[in-house]
Formats: sequence, structure tokens, C-alpha cells
Amino acid sequence: MRIFHKKGGGIIQLVDKKNMEEWSVELPLIFIEYIREKQLEKYNDTSVKKEISAYLDEILKDVAIPRLISVLEGENEEETISALERIKEISKKNVDMARPIKPYLDNLSKSKNKSIVKITQEISNNFLKADRRKELAKKRKIMQEKEKQFMAGTISGEDYAKARKEYLTLKE
Amino acid sequence: MAKKQQKKNWDLKAAKDLFNDYIEKGSEKREIPLPEDTIKIDDLNRKNTLERVYNLVDDIIERIYNTGKPSILLPSRSSSNIIWDEENDLLLLGKQIIEKQFHSLTSVADITRLMRVLEIINELLVKDIHATKREVFYTDVKLFTEQKTSDKSIEDAATMLYTTRNSTHVVAAPKGTCVGRLRIRDRNDIIDLEGLGSGGWTISPMLDNIEILESDAEFILVIEKDAAMMRLAEARFWRKYPCILLTAQGVGNVAVRMFLKRLSKELNLPVFSLVDSDPYGHYIHSVYLRGSKRLSYESPFLATPNIKLLGVLTRDLDKYKIPDVARLKLEKVDIKRIKDLLNEDFVKKNKKWETDLKLALKMNIKAEIQALSSHGFEFLTDQYLPEKLSTGDWI
Repeated sequence: MRIFHKKGGGIIQLVDKKNMEEWSVELPLIFIEYIREKQLEKYNDTSVKKEISAYLDEILKDVAIPRLISVLEGENEEETISALERIKEISKKNVDMARPIKPYLDNLSKSKNKSIVKITQEISNNFLKADRRKELAKKRKIMQEKEKQFMAGTISGEDYAKARKEYLTLKE
Repeated sequence: MAKKQQKKNWDLKAAKDLFNDYIEKGSEKREIPLPEDTIKIDDLNRKNTLERVYNLVDDIIERIYNTGKPSILLPSRSSSNIIWDEENDLLLLGKQIIEKQFHSLTSVADITRLMRVLEIINELLVKDIHATKREVFYTDVKLFTEQKTSDKSIEDAATMLYTTRNSTHVVAAPKGTCVGRLRIRDRNDIIDLEGLGSGGWTISPMLDNIEILESDAEFILVIEKDAAMMRLAEARFWRKYPCILLTAQGVGNVAVRMFLKRLSKELNLPVFSLVDSDPYGHYIHSVYLRGSKRLSYESPFLATPNIKLLGVLTRDLDKYKIPDVARLKLEKVDIKRIKDLLNEDFVKKNKKWETDLKLALKMNIKAEIQALSSHGFEFLTDQYLPEKLSTGDWI
């Protein structure tokens, strides 16, 4: 068991990630979701919550995702669909956690199975949306800078308009 | 009318200190290797148990070819081969081996039953399913004639395979329940033992499907009786005092004892028992503590040697002023049981335990856990248990 000590005394014990290697492919993800949604709030200790949250990320990275990848590379279509459904859920909540899957999506989108292609497309869209959000945040920062420069008169109206146009296009 | 108790916030200091001590030492450091003159039993997964079945059958066939005198070798389970390991406080099986030969009439019947049980075990393992001892008996009533014989063959088969009975997928019927600060998985289902109402989770005998996932408990309380369990469950005792409650409604069967052992070992928690203040209650505690003689071959997987007898102790009856009307006189059978217990090495070694049993004899009294209700229904949950766990008043 992995032990987490609460500041005011008391401990929380969670199953070791090594044990999960024997689990069915979707179970590590179900476990992560279960602890995050049902237990984490009950621990009443910010630092222990943080530590456990980090441990859950570790499980996701070291066990859950690699196990899913092994299924995606396999030939059992039913297992692949079930794994893709889980990945879709992760990509909605935390796209970075699902990134290791990205290189496998190209191949899967060429599958003859329509369900596999459909879910793969949905996951790809989640990646695209997330990438756009990132780029927009970057541009927003630049835009704020340009606004300051324009107000200070250090850049021309033309330069400002160009930056503004780029930002608005991306936003749409 | 029930007397009013002063509600107090107990810190459970003694129980917490014990828990911290366990956590500091770690479970491995607390475990002492088993003595060399005892046989080693393994708790195996399905694949490894199947492998042992095949190896055993290969051995028998080879012996038939080589000697022409077919026989089976298995560790003796007679009382002369049961050893009490003082260091670990466990009853274990010694290294005496018996040979059952096919050519005597009594042995032939025994061996036929044994081979039939092995065949059933093989089927269960191949199909990855479980059967109760009763079901095994009904697979061949003519051969086994009564369940006692099939039960014996099942135990012999497990001993022959040098594994636990649970590893053979022959299980006991579900009996005990568990509730409290614990999350487990049963195959792919996550079960929250805090969220199952007062009834709790029925301890599955198919323990190979069970895994401990999460817990923030600080101790385990084993309760002899359903009524006391109900009182604690209704009070949601584990919410105020982080713990896991478990009952087997009497002597713990294999599944309950194995589950308790697992909880105690994996979570490294202190374990306490709450039993009637009578020799049978003490006997129930002793079975959790060091295993039973009949199943001594799998004691290392069934016994919880660090379990403490929290109550109800004979000395508690005066300390907590249990009225005379709630006390009972010892019967002949109780006196015999106390004397038998006093003769056991593990009691002789534990002076506090010996003293308490002698006190029961001297005062000629016994009492049930429910006798504590003479101070009000909540006395058990609000005063008795928290006070004992705070002060370390256990054996």
C-alpha cells in the first residue's frame, strides 16, 4: 500500500500502482476517477490531497495509459473501442494526460470499424480544441502587450490592427 | 429509563500509539520466519495452483510406474503433528508425512475420494469458478456419503498441494460482514464499505477476487456478535473513530479469518476483538489469534497473531459496575472450557490473559457484551470502547 500522512495525524493508504499491472485494462482509470470524485474531498487536508492527486497522475502516466496503448496496438476491436471511450473521457478532462495516445490516432482513424474511426475523430477534435485554446492564450498575451505598446505610441496603428486581426481570426 | 452518560471526546491515544508503532516498524519487520520443522504452505493464484495439481498427478503416475505400489504422500494433520510456534504465536503443521496406499481397503476409499476432489478442484480452476464445500459434497453423494468425509478430503487435497483451501477455489459459504473506512474491489467493481448501510458488506469467500484499494482506518475491531455489530453500525462508530468493523457471528470461518489477516497485514493496522466475557468468547478470540487445530496447515494465512483482546474482560464487570442481574454463573461446560484454555501454552505465556480467566473461575461469573447495555444502549459506543482504546486496557 502507498501511505500518505495527514498533517494533523492519521493516514490514508492507497493500493500500490504495481498491483494494477494485473488489473483489467480499464480498471486503473476507474480507480483514478473513483478516488478523485468520491474520496479526495473527504480527506480534509490540502497537502495530502495534493500528494494523492499527484499519485493518481503518476498511476495514469505509468500504468493506465501504457495499458491502454497496449490495447490500441492489439487486434481486439471490442477492447479497442472500450479503451478509446476511456481516452475520450480523459482528453475532455485533462488533455495533457491523454497526449501519449496521440501518435496512435492516425492509424486508428484508418480502421475499417466505423465506431473506432468515430471515437478517434472525437479524440482528435479534443486535441485540436485544446491546442487552439493554448495558442489563443499565447496570442492573448501578445495582444495585451501590443495594446500597451499602442497606447504608449511605440507601435503604429497598422501593426496593432494586424495583431488584432490575427487574434480575432483565431478566436473565431 | 436508561442512565444518562456524559458524552466525552476520547482521543484513542493508546490505539493510535500502537498504530504509529506498527507503521514505523512496517509489516515485514514484525514478521518472524516460520520454524524449520514446520511445512510451508503457499497462497497461490489460479495458474500456480493448477500447475501444482498437474505436478502432483504426474508424481502419482510416476510412482505407479516405478514401484507398482501406488500410494500418495501427504503431511499428517493429526494432533501429534501440530506444533505451537511460540515466536509467531501460531499453530502450525509439523513435517510428519503419511503414506496412503491403494492396496488397503480403507485407503482405497480415501484415495478415491481424494482423487475425485482433485478432479473437482481441477475443473473449478480451469473454469475459474468457485464452489462451496456443500456443493462439492453434492457432486458425488454416493462416494462421499456424508459431508464430513468430503470436507476431510478437501482439506487433505489442499495439504497435499501445499496450498490454502481458498487457492483450490473450494470455499465456505459467506458468513461474516464488514463495514467501515475501507474501499475494496471485487473483480471490476469498486465497493465502498462506508456506503452500504448498517448491514455492511458480506465477506466474500472468493477472496482471490478481492483486493484492498483504499483505507483511512486506524484500527480494526472484530466483534463476536451481530447485536453488538448492529449497535456500532447504527452509531456509525467508524465516522467518529476511523476504523473497520468486522463480525463473523461466532467463530470466524476461513473467509472471515483470511480477510481479517489480509486487512491486518496489508494495512498494518492494530486489531482488537470484542467478545462475550465467557470462555467461548475467549476461545473465539484465540482462533483469530493463533488459528484452529483443524486448519493448522494454513494458520499463517488465517491467524492474526497481533490481535488484542479488548473486552469484555472479567475484570471489566466490576470496573464498569455491571449489575448482578446482568451477570451469569458459569456452567459446568464453561468451567471445563476455562480449564482447557488455562492448559494451552499460548494462554500460559500471556499472564494477563491467564489472570482474567482465573478471575472468572474465582468469581464464578460470565456476561454477554449486551450486559453493557445496563448502562444504556450507547454506553458501548460512547464510553466503553473509546475509553478502553484510549487507555490501552486490553490483553
